[in-house]
Amino acid sequence: MSYSIEEIKQGIKLHCIDTNKFKTNLMAVFITLPLNREKITYDTVIPAVLKRGTKKLTSQEEISKKLEDMYGASFDCGIEKIGDNHVIKFYLESLNDNFTPENSKENISKDSIDLLLDIILNPLTENNQFKDEYVEAEKNNIKLLIESKIDNKDQYALNRCIEEMYKGKPYGLYKYGYTEDLDKINSKNLYQYYTELINTSKIDIFISGELNTKDIVEIVRNNENIKKIKERKPNYIVNNEQTENKEEIQEKEIEEKKDVAQGKLVIGLDVELNDYNSKFPVSLYNVILGESATSKLFQNVREKASLAYTARSNYVRQKNNIYIRCGIEIENYEKALKIIKEQLEEMQDGKFTEEDLENSKKYMISGIQSAQDEQDSEITYYIGQELSGMLTTFEEYMKKINEVKLEDVKNVANKIKINTIYFLRN
Amino acid sequence: MQIIENLSVKEKLYIEKLENGLTVMIIPKKGIRKKYVMWATHYGSIDNKFVVPGEEKKSEVPDGVAHFLEHKMFEQENGTNSLDTLTALGVNANAYTTNNYTTYLFESTDNFYPALDELMDYVQKPYFTDENVEKEKGIIAQEIKMYDDYPDWVVYMNAIRNMYKNNPIRIDIAGSVESIYKIDKDVLYKCYNTFYNPSNMVMCFCGDFEPEKLIEEVKKRLIEKPNQGEIKRIYEEEPEEIVEKRIEQTMEVSMPLFVIAIKDKLPNKNEDTVKKHIAIEILLNLIIGKSSELYKEMYENELLVSEPFLEYEFTDNYAHIAITGGSKDPDKVLEKIQQEIEKLKKEGLNSSDFERIKNMLYGNAVKEFNNVSDIARMFISDYFKDVNSFDYLENYKQITTEYTYEILKEVFLKDKTVLSIVKNSK
Repeated sequence: MSYSIEEIKQGIKLHCIDTNKFKTNLMAVFITLPLNREKITYDTVIPAVLKRGTKKLTSQEEISKKLEDMYGASFDCGIEKIGDNHVIKFYLESLNDNFTPENSKENISKDSIDLLLDIILNPLTENNQFKDEYVEAEKNNIKLLIESKIDNKDQYALNRCIEEMYKGKPYGLYKYGYTEDLDKINSKNLYQYYTELINTSKIDIFISGELNTKDIVEIVRNNENIKKIKERKPNYIVNNEQTENKEEIQEKEIEEKKDVAQGKLVIGLDVELNDYNSKFPVSLYNVILGESATSKLFQNVREKASLAYTARSNYVRQKNNIYIRCGIEIENYEKALKIIKEQLEEMQDGKFTEEDLENSKKYMISGIQSAQDEQDSEITYYIGQELSGMLTTFEEYMKKINEVKLEDVKNVANKIKINTIYFLRN
Repeated sequence: MQIIENLSVKEKLYIEKLENGLTVMIIPKKGIRKKYVMWATHYGSIDNKFVVPGEEKKSEVPDGVAHFLEHKMFEQENGTNSLDTLTALGVNANAYTTNNYTTYLFESTDNFYPALDELMDYVQKPYFTDENVEKEKGIIAQEIKMYDDYPDWVVYMNAIRNMYKNNPIRIDIAGSVESIYKIDKDVLYKCYNTFYNPSNMVMCFCGDFEPEKLIEEVKKRLIEKPNQGEIKRIYEEEPEEIVEKRIEQTMEVSMPLFVIAIKDKLPNKNEDTVKKHIAIEILLNLIIGKSSELYKEMYENELLVSEPFLEYEFTDNYAHIAITGGSKDPDKVLEKIQQEIEKLKKEGLNSSDFERIKNMLYGNAVKEFNNVSDIARMFISDYFKDVNSFDYLENYKQITTEYTYEILKEVFLKDKTVLSIVKNSK
């Protein structure tokens, strides 16, 4: 495997991952810009409209047929918050040319690159704006998408907790935006916004598969759509920068009612540290607290007290937060909260062992190694590195994890405090 | 040892049946760091009435025993829990139960053989006490309630219950909160002793292995057990008819969810189930796949906002089609789909559409061979259907429009179709 980065134009990078582990090539394009209340809903409507048609393939149906013809290439797009950035993602997965049937004449690798760039950079327009019909239909779809946030109650509870913790701040925004914005969007202002976005934002193109990197760089450089777009000095938030002051935390408790069979408890923790080196002991703190099956939360909330089936935590390194989540009987709220708080205190008191630390290192390292056997995880890792403004390779990452001492985890434990306790009940 | 090679994906399957009746399958993957193993028993939630080999009388057990056993297998006599032990080794261990099998697995990058020791030890040595069985009930109750809050699970189970009158697939895999409280250690031992005999089990490995050496390692770790006779499983006779055409349930969801399901006859012994499965997948895509006329029309009329999920599920005991999605008017979606089926029956299949869909499905089948965990899961799941997963790749090449058209007439029947809806009370 080799990983190389090539700047195609200022602000536009091509990342090539040359690997022979897969039957497929995976291509991803990320457009990154700061989260912004004014434009967040526009960002969501854009990929929805782009997938409707290009100047060459003018309808969704034609695009689908083209993908099917390429032995079931699959296209997908989505929106993510990564730190204080909004990232618009596009993916195209297709068979590597080594695995297409013998009689096929296509050059699927090149076709895939051309097709994905065409969808993103060469949309169907009418009178210098998006096609009205597509924009109106997609606005309705996005409305439904935004409204569907109540459907999965676990996810809803987590989103609500984040919203409460980041009230009025960019990271508190809902990644798909807001229904009330949709009335303001039309095919003209959306196209204007798109043109600006495509010519000013950070663009990262990833291509992973058994490919000749030199050829790929040539194909991308010579792509007519790439030639059309300008150099730029992109505006985005480097993810290691702290954008909020976390000094004065008032622990909040929030309760909300919905039609649920099970109570969903989410506790948002703040990590009052932000230097690069603290991220490694904090990752290990999180594994010991609640990420693995040997963790304190799993052992005490689930195995000992039988209060929950899910009891875990996850660490959002870009925002210095840990979220604890569990599903419990509603009347067990106090009981569960008490046990969780006891686990946090134990962490602060340093009640964990060298063995706990070793186990959590093994857990993390096996996760990092596995990521290199999965095409999408590998790309996700590298875009995370790209947006953090520095590249930590897999090897360096593992080394940093291995170097963490018990004392380091004890030190970070005292910098981790409850910010918000959120409970969804009936 | 039998070796089956597939040239389309350039992979080999090594398969051996050991003296004690255990089947071992190995798919070597050179150069991949992850090693994945699954150990499965042909015992799932539907096996609740059976005759223990050597006995005369029928045994009947409460709903949810197979899943309960899966939870309890990790408990060891020395007070340790194998999930903890495996996690401490840095491997990612898990287990799950389906309608027709239960499987224990882990994925490792290091410590493969120590982890195999543990896996083979705990699956062969059950340890149930009144206390450890009692303790699990609270945890499983929360697992059941978690599913009760998932609208997509509720809408699917309602479709199943409206298709099947007697088949135990009607029962939730985990049972109900009431039924699990009837489970005790004697029931668990009885089911363990019946179904966890090597002759009822299969192991599947995928990763960088030397097959001959691996087989020896497996043999070393097996505890001697007699190759018991066949387990007689008792399933009540299931009529060909459905129970009820339509069911609606209210839950808090943003848009109605639906499952359109078509009950199929049980596969007969002479039938090629792989061929039939492929024909049904092609038909589903021709009718309502992403590139179909009908999808285009319903997308434009805002009856559908994304393509429905299409699948054909079958074992020896049940077979049905499920079309799953969201729509403001599921009844209208059903009506349109039924019209399209009738139209296809009348006009026949378009051969260029047929070829395109076939190529797409072929590509999708190749993609299944990307990841060691996906590969092992696929081989295990197909094994219990008496299918070798490679067969799909070869059958895609041979399937004809004539055969597919026959399947359309035989399977896509209006009087076998049910509609299940979950929607808001408002």
